[in-house]
Amino acid sequence: MRYGLTILFAATLAAMPVAAQQWKAPTTMKKLSNGLTVVVSEDHSAPTFGVCVSYGIGFRLEPEGRTGFAHLFEHMMFEGTPDAPKGVLERVIEGGGGNNNGDTRYDYTEYIETAPISALDPILWIEADRMKTLDFSAKNLENQRKVVEEEVRVNVLNQPYGLFFAIDLPGKAFDTYPNAHNFYGDFKDLDAAKIEDVQTFYEQYYAPNNAVMAIVGDVNPDEIFTKVDKYFAPLTSRPTPPKPKVEEPPLKAERRSQQTDKLAKVPAIAIGYRMPERHSPDALVGAVLGELLHNGQASRFYQSLVKGKQVALSVSGGVNWPLGAPFEYNGPTLMTSFVVYPATATEDQLLGAYDATIKELVQKGPTQQDLDRVVTKMRSDWYGQLEIPIDRASALSHAVLFDGTFDRVYQIPEDLAKVTPAQVRAFAAKYLVSTNRTIINRIPEAPAKGAEKQGEN
Amino acid sequence: MKTFKVIATVLLLASGVFAEKAALPKDLPAYGPEKPLQTPSVKVSKLDNGLTVWLVSQPGFPKLAFTLAVHGGLASDPADRPGISELLSNTIDQGTKTRTAKQIAEEIQATGGDLIAGSGKDATTLLTEVLSSKADAAITLLADLAQNATFPENEVALAKRNLADSLRQQEADPSFLADRQMARVLFGENPYHVTSPTQESITAATSAELQKIYAQRFRPDQALLVAVGDFDNDKLLAQVKTKFGTWKAGNEAPISTPSRFSSTMKPTVHLIPRPDSVQTTLELGTLGPVRSDPDYPASQVANAIFGGTFGSRLTINIREDKGYTYSPYASLQTYVATGVLTAQADVRNEVTAASFNEMVYELNRMATTSPTEEELATAKRYLVGLEAIRLQIRSSVARELSRLWIYGLPPEEIGENGKKIASITGTDVDAVAKKYFPARNLAIVAVGEEKVVRDAFEPFGLTVEAGH
Repeated sequence: MRYGLTILFAATLAAMPVAAQQWKAPTTMKKLSNGLTVVVSEDHSAPTFGVCVSYGIGFRLEPEGRTGFAHLFEHMMFEGTPDAPKGVLERVIEGGGGNNNGDTRYDYTEYIETAPISALDPILWIEADRMKTLDFSAKNLENQRKVVEEEVRVNVLNQPYGLFFAIDLPGKAFDTYPNAHNFYGDFKDLDAAKIEDVQTFYEQYYAPNNAVMAIVGDVNPDEIFTKVDKYFAPLTSRPTPPKPKVEEPPLKAERRSQQTDKLAKVPAIAIGYRMPERHSPDALVGAVLGELLHNGQASRFYQSLVKGKQVALSVSGGVNWPLGAPFEYNGPTLMTSFVVYPATATEDQLLGAYDATIKELVQKGPTQQDLDRVVTKMRSDWYGQLEIPIDRASALSHAVLFDGTFDRVYQIPEDLAKVTPAQVRAFAAKYLVSTNRTIINRIPEAPAKGAEKQGEN
Repeated sequence: MKTFKVIATVLLLASGVFAEKAALPKDLPAYGPEKPLQTPSVKVSKLDNGLTVWLVSQPGFPKLAFTLAVHGGLASDPADRPGISELLSNTIDQGTKTRTAKQIAEEIQATGGDLIAGSGKDATTLLTEVLSSKADAAITLLADLAQNATFPENEVALAKRNLADSLRQQEADPSFLADRQMARVLFGENPYHVTSPTQESITAATSAELQKIYAQRFRPDQALLVAVGDFDNDKLLAQVKTKFGTWKAGNEAPISTPSRFSSTMKPTVHLIPRPDSVQTTLELGTLGPVRSDPDYPASQVANAIFGGTFGSRLTINIREDKGYTYSPYASLQTYVATGVLTAQADVRNEVTAASFNEMVYELNRMATTSPTEEELATAKRYLVGLEAIRLQIRSSVARELSRLWIYGLPPEEIGENGKKIASITGTDVDAVAKKYFPARNLAIVAVGEEKVVRDAFEPFGLTVEAGH
C-alpha cells in the first residue's frame, strides 16, 4: 500500500484444483539460528528473481490510540538506515534494474522486490540492513505522515464509496479493537504518532525471528543459503510480545446501518458474514462458496442480481476480500459482498434478491458440475499467483509465517477439489444467515446540496 | 506570453531538492554479472483466410495466455456514437449463434480463465489466461466470439442501462474526469479524444449498430491471435486452424489506419469542478513519440528520470521531500498515430499551487539541464530490468506482442527495446527533454473544488477555463 493504488483491488481471490495437472515448484526452507526463516524456490525460466520479507505484524496488533500505525511504520522502512540513508534503497534497487514495494495487511507486513539476478546481492544486503536498525528520524516521520495522509485522501476521503466495504464494514461487524478499528488510521492517531513509537514498534516486531524471507527465481538453494548466512546471520533475535487474543464475542443479531456519500453518484451496499477460523475444516468450504457466489459472470450473484432480477450493476467479494486470498488471514474475517446498484432499485429489492439467491443455494446446493468449474477457476488463479517469482515469494512467505510450513501453498488446490456440494450447502445454511451478518447501505447525498455548494463558489 | 510568465515564476519560486547524492554504503556489495535475457521465440503463421497467428511455446508452467486483437477501437467509433466500443466490449460475450451469455460465462470459467474484452484507441482485444489442459475449449470459445456474436436485443438493452449507470459511477472518480478532459484538450477534434461513451451515445446505440461495427472490425485479415504458454506449436496451430479457419470477412470495409498528427497547446488550465473534493487531481500532458520513432527509447529514459520511478525527480521532490502527494507519476503511452506524455499527482487542496509549481519546475529542469551520470545509468538499468521482469509473465508477453502488431511492428521487436535503451546517451536524453518536456507546450487539467483550483492558479497568470 506504499504506492500501487490498484493493489487493494487487485488482490486476487486465489486458489485451487480439480484432480489432474497438479503443479509444484521445487522449494526448500531453512531457519537461521537467529530465528529468521528462509524459503527458496527455483525458477530458471528467466534471469530474474523475486524476494518477499514478511513480518508477523499487521493492522490487527497495532496499539490502541495508534490506528493506522502498522502501515505508517511500513513507510518508515523505506526511509533509510544509519548505513544506507534515505534514498539509497531506491538507488540500489532501481539502479539494479528492479522495482519494489510494501504492503500492510491484517496479519503481516511484507516488503517485496523483483530484479534481474545481477542485483541479488545488493538487494539482500538492503533487506538485512533494514532488519538491523533504522534511521529513526523525526523529520522523515513527519514527511511520511503527510504522504500517508495523502494516501488516505486519494484512496478513501476523495473517492466515491471511500472503501466502506473494507474499512467501515469490519468496524460494524466486529466488537474488539484488533478487528474493528480503521486500519488506514484516523488522522488524529496518525498525527499523534511519535518517533519513539516507531522505535518501540521496530524493537517489538521487526526482529529476524518474527520474519520469513522467500526468494524465488533463477537461483540455487545452496548458493542462496550461503548468501543469506553472510548478510543475515549477524543479526540478533529479540523477544516479540506475546500474541494477544483476537477472538470476537459471537454476533447475535443482524446489524444494519446506513451511510450517505458526498462523492458517489450511484448507491452501493456491503454485506459481511463472519467466517470460521482459518484452520477449521469449514474454512476451505467458505473459500469455495465465496468464489461460487461472487467471482465472474458465471457466479450466482452476478446471474441473479445483475442478470436475472436486474437490481445490481456489479458484484464483487469473497472471503477475506479485498485484502487478500481467502487463505491468508490469521484472525476473525468476513465473507464480504460489495454490490453497486441502480438508483431505480431499492435496498429491499436488492436484499430480497440477494437472500433468494442464498436460499436457493441452501435448498438445492450447487451441482458437482458447478463446483468443478469453480474449483478449476480457483486452481488456475492460484497457479497464476505462483507464476511470477515475486508473487510466489509472497504466497510462500505468508504460508510459513502463519503455519511454519509452505506445504499449504501447493496443497490448497488438492484440498479444494475435495469440497463437496453437500458441504457447500451445509456451510451456506450455517453461516449465511441474517443473525451472522452486518449490512451497510451507502447512498449518494441528495444532489441538490452538491449543486448549491458549487453555486456558492 | 503567459507561457513565459509560467517559466519565470517557476524559476523564482521553486525550492527544488537537487542536493548532491551521498556516496553508497561502503559495505554494499556490487552488482553481479549480467545474464542475457532470453527473448521469446515467436512462431509466425498466417491462415488461408488471412488470420495472423503468433505462437510462443513456453513449457513448464500449466497456464496459457491468449490474445485476440482486431484493428479498430474508440478512435474508430462513429462520430455520433462516441465510446460505443465500450458497449461492444460489454456485449460481445453476451450471446453467439449457438451459445447464451450464461453458457459463455460458464464455459470460460471451466477453462480456469476470465474473458477480458476491451477497446483502446486503435484496437479491440479479447484476453484470457486458462489452464493449458483447457486450451481447446478456450480456442473454441474465442473462435465462436470472433465469428458468431449476435448482440441479442435483451442483453444489449441491459448492458446499455448498466453502462449508463457505470458512466455515472465513473464520473465520481477524479482520475476518470482528469483523463477524459486531458484527452479532449490534447486531441481536440481528432477521434483520439474519445475515452468513454456519453449518456447520449449509450441511449442511442442499437444492437444493429453493434453488429455492423463488429462486422467491420472482426475479420480474419485484420486480426491477430497470440498464444503464450505450455503447448506444442504444431498441435495448437492445428486446433486454431480447425476453429478459426471458417472465419470469413463480411462486406463492411475494413478500418483505415489513422495518420500521424500533432498539436500545440495553449497555456490554459482546464478545470473540472468537483464539489467536496479534499484533493486536487493535477494532470499535465503533451504529445510524444510513437513506438517506432527513433527517439522513443530516449523518451522512456527521460520519463523515468523525470517521474517514472520511486527514485525519480518528481517523486523525490513532491513526495519524499515535501509530502504533498502519495502517488506522483509520469507515464509515456503510445498509440498508432501519436504518443502521450503525462504527469499526475493528487494533492491536498492547500498545496495545489505549490505542487503545480514544482511539477512545472521539474519539467523545465528536464528541458534545460542534463541528467547526472547516475540518473542516466539508473533509469536505463531500471527500464532494461523492467523488460526482463515483464517478459517472464505469459500474459505480458501476449499483450506486448499484440501491441507490436497493432503498431505494425514485427514480432521480432519483442525484447529489442531493452537493447535500444542500453545504448542511449545523455545527449539523446537532452534532445528529447528539450523537445517534449518544456512547460510551454503543456495541456493542464485540474479536478477539484472550483474555488481551490481558481485561487491556486491565480499567481501563475494562467487562464482557467471550465472543462466540458
